[in-house]
Amino acid sequence: MMIEYDVCVIGAGPAGLSAALQLKDCSVCMIEREEKPGGILKQCIHDGFGLIKFNAEMTGPEYSQRYIDELMTTDIKVYMKTFVSNINYICEKNIQIELINPEQGMFQIKVKSIIFATGCRERTAKQVFIHGERPAGILTAGSAQYFVNVSGYLPCRKCVILGSGDIGLIMARRLTLEGAEVLGVYEIKDSSSGLQRNIAQCLEDFNIPLHLSETVIKTHGDDRLTGVTVAKVDSEFNVIKGTEKYLECDGLILSVGLIPENELTKEMGIQIDSHTKGPIVDQNMMTSLKGVFACGNQVHVNDLVDYVSKSGEIAAKACMEYIKGNDYEKEDIRIKFDDSEFLYIVPQVINRQNENMNVTFFFRSSRKLRDAYVKIEINDKEIVNKSYIALNPPELQVIDIALGTLSQHDNIKFKINQR
Amino acid sequence: MIKELQSKLKKSVHQGIECEEKRKHIVLEGVVDSYDEIIRAGYLAARDEYKGVVNRLKVDGLEDKSIRIPTLSDHQFKDDPCDVLVIGGGIIGCAIIRWLSKYNLDILLVDKESDIAMHQSSRNDGMVHPGFAPKPGSNKAVYNVKGNQMFEKMAGDLEVPFKRVGTYMLFEHYYYALIKELFFRRAEHNNMGTIEFLFKDEILKREPFVTDKVKCGIYMPTTAVCPPYEMTVALAENAVLNGARVSLETYVYKMQKDKDKIMKVYTNRGEIIPKVVINCAGLSADFIAELADDRFFTIHPRKGQIAILDKNKADRLDCVLSIIDLKTMKSRTKGGGLVKTVEGNIVVGPSAYEQPYKEDYSTTKEDMDELLEKNLSYIKGLSRSDVITYTAGNRAATYKEDFIIEKSDYVSNLIHIAGIQSPGYASSPAIAEKACEYALEILKEKMKITDNERYDPHRKSIPRLDKFPKDMRSDMIMKNRDYGHIICRCEHISKGEIIDAIHSPIPAVTLDAIKRRTRGGMGRCQGGFCTPLIMEIIKEETDLKMEEISKKGKQSHILYQSTRVKAGRNDD
Repeated sequence: MMIEYDVCVIGAGPAGLSAALQLKDCSVCMIEREEKPGGILKQCIHDGFGLIKFNAEMTGPEYSQRYIDELMTTDIKVYMKTFVSNINYICEKNIQIELINPEQGMFQIKVKSIIFATGCRERTAKQVFIHGERPAGILTAGSAQYFVNVSGYLPCRKCVILGSGDIGLIMARRLTLEGAEVLGVYEIKDSSSGLQRNIAQCLEDFNIPLHLSETVIKTHGDDRLTGVTVAKVDSEFNVIKGTEKYLECDGLILSVGLIPENELTKEMGIQIDSHTKGPIVDQNMMTSLKGVFACGNQVHVNDLVDYVSKSGEIAAKACMEYIKGNDYEKEDIRIKFDDSEFLYIVPQVINRQNENMNVTFFFRSSRKLRDAYVKIEINDKEIVNKSYIALNPPELQVIDIALGTLSQHDNIKFKINQR
Repeated sequence: MIKELQSKLKKSVHQGIECEEKRKHIVLEGVVDSYDEIIRAGYLAARDEYKGVVNRLKVDGLEDKSIRIPTLSDHQFKDDPCDVLVIGGGIIGCAIIRWLSKYNLDILLVDKESDIAMHQSSRNDGMVHPGFAPKPGSNKAVYNVKGNQMFEKMAGDLEVPFKRVGTYMLFEHYYYALIKELFFRRAEHNNMGTIEFLFKDEILKREPFVTDKVKCGIYMPTTAVCPPYEMTVALAENAVLNGARVSLETYVYKMQKDKDKIMKVYTNRGEIIPKVVINCAGLSADFIAELADDRFFTIHPRKGQIAILDKNKADRLDCVLSIIDLKTMKSRTKGGGLVKTVEGNIVVGPSAYEQPYKEDYSTTKEDMDELLEKNLSYIKGLSRSDVITYTAGNRAATYKEDFIIEKSDYVSNLIHIAGIQSPGYASSPAIAEKACEYALEILKEKMKITDNERYDPHRKSIPRLDKFPKDMRSDMIMKNRDYGHIICRCEHISKGEIIDAIHSPIPAVTLDAIKRRTRGGMGRCQGGFCTPLIMEIIKEETDLKMEEISKKGKQSHILYQSTRVKAGRNDD
């Protein structure tokens, strides 16, 4: 009685939508816990989406609507308001998923393959160890964005933004446009963690100051936030005594990082990369478990939705191949790199048994560099040498290469050299 | 004796201290140089044979932060009579009204906050202590052991999750083996049943993630865990369903007496005429005693910070670990430990330090860093990145460091249940039973007491979808579709559960109140995703507007006015 599908896509945000729409000649279902597909894009009403993918500048809802419109023309079964409560990987091509929703209650489906596309969540005030009192008015940038753009209410009138992540920068502009006063963006690091274009368009154009090497050390207020104490920090992030300053405000908005959502994959025993906090994937976005794919911000946090969509497509293509074939071979070779040079590289492994050796690598350098070369070596032999005017951790870099046949003990290494 | 104490205080603490004997207690007055001196003087005075210490010492320049007082003012009470007025809606007050509700009495509980369990009762690790720590013969020892024995039935009747997990008291040196008899003797004195001494190998068999620094330990099987806010809510709900009344945002500021009797109690919501008053006002119990002109103790808040770890580390521990060395055993500022809660989170702490403000729950980096550094190292695989949140609570400590559970010596219709701090939670059923006995003794002289025929000791909890057997979940959802709509993704809490909390016997209409009843927003994302959704549900189910919905009542609203876009849209 268990309903069967070839593939189940978990999450109907941009990654899941693009994966589902690429899946041809197989039965597909999508699971989404919210009431509508589109994921976080519903609240991203700023523009800048789709430049790479569609060569057009769209808002988040416009971008996702293109996919949703197409979804409506397919026979993909979409389970909305549906929550995955458990996944049982019985054996290859036999995965049982337990679901809950208001219409069907608790029920199970059986699938051959899963594509995870569950996105990411925001790091909270407590996860960055902010101390002081615990009043209302301390919220993540994403929550603030939901309140302003979806609910239609202002969560503060005068605020401080902690962290220079992109959502924080975008909310600095959004709140200003709505009449709230943004006292400044405080970043503990000595450089911004957001995209340069957002610094220019969201802060500089609105005269909102960006304070680098400065952070919020204490929150004040019993009921509603009444103020925060900020202070300068040294290179080890220790507070420099005497630089503490009290700022009166009724909101503290946090943009201090995103964490890939991987509770389900962790429960299934899928290997997680400590650098990305997402699953370790191969060039086909397949995780350490055969037939289980992951894409989008669940794998690593992307700068642009276009990349998120692209990873969904890669996963879908490989997934189709997987469900059609027999005796899928997987033999992974780990990509090597030095932590001092790279924050991370995705994919983390290459399945040498797979026919597809056209690999799209995504990486972030671990620090700001000018005039640098990124080299890829196989057994110390250079196969790629790409030059960059600038490398900056907030800017995700992409390299497409055709790897060719690899043998079991091949050593693939990424390096950065400065001119 | 008083002269001796006076000179001792002047000599070893501060010249400016004056002490005076009043009734059976000591009053300290004067100005000293630091808050630490106030505390030292208080403890020094408590060593003498007086009933208590009222410490009115002051420090110049120390900010005088007052407690939170409701902004509401109305006339809900117009000289309303009641048989028992219970002041304070923490675990003790709520347990007392539940015990009293067995009888045909008009019971009224008042609390100044927007919900019950807003202070100590929701700011602790939920451990039901075994009764080892208290000094033999103290009220703490007696009530702790008795309360621990009563706890399981109370939790069962009220459908609050309860688990007897046991404590391992860990030592870093083998020489504790030489003094194990001391521990056994203490356990025997406190009547807490058998405890075991174990070497590392045996501990590792039971708790495989304990680290190498541990050499031996004592196992106490009677320690249990039970969520304290849920228990407090359950007791209050059960009492309300049995006929007791609960009035929130009700602040007692004055009492009118006639000779030795309280005639009238004044609140911001009108006047109450009680036959008996029970003072279980926690951190403010000394203030309430003062209103009745029977203050013989001072509550000094001892702060503790706790950290809560992600449930994905649940497999690391299956018990309570208490970490102790000879130095900390005697000190009041003990260093906490690790507690695995019923829900699967590991709680680290609490710490303990004196600070002057009763309702200051701010946390500090220094204390939290120390707490984590010290405690996480006892279990393999725990790190700072597992912390999902942390908070602080203040223990309502007296200088005598024991529970005050007694009928007033000077006010004929007043009962003091004060100085209740650790192990107050474990002791709560035994304390409630005693308080109830005292109340009945006083009431018997004024009225005939009969049993409440409506009394039902059982209370139905809000059904937790993910705790239901799997084959029954669909039925549950088919009966009420809202149980199939998951709102809090981290804790798997459904819309149905949130609606149940909003319409529960003590309605939950703030985000924190809903959190205490359902755990919605308590998980790893700390309400990041579900806060707006829960607010929408509150709006649908009550007459509150979005801008009026708050985190914890009063001025703690989440939103201001509509955005320009929305306001414009509404104008169209």
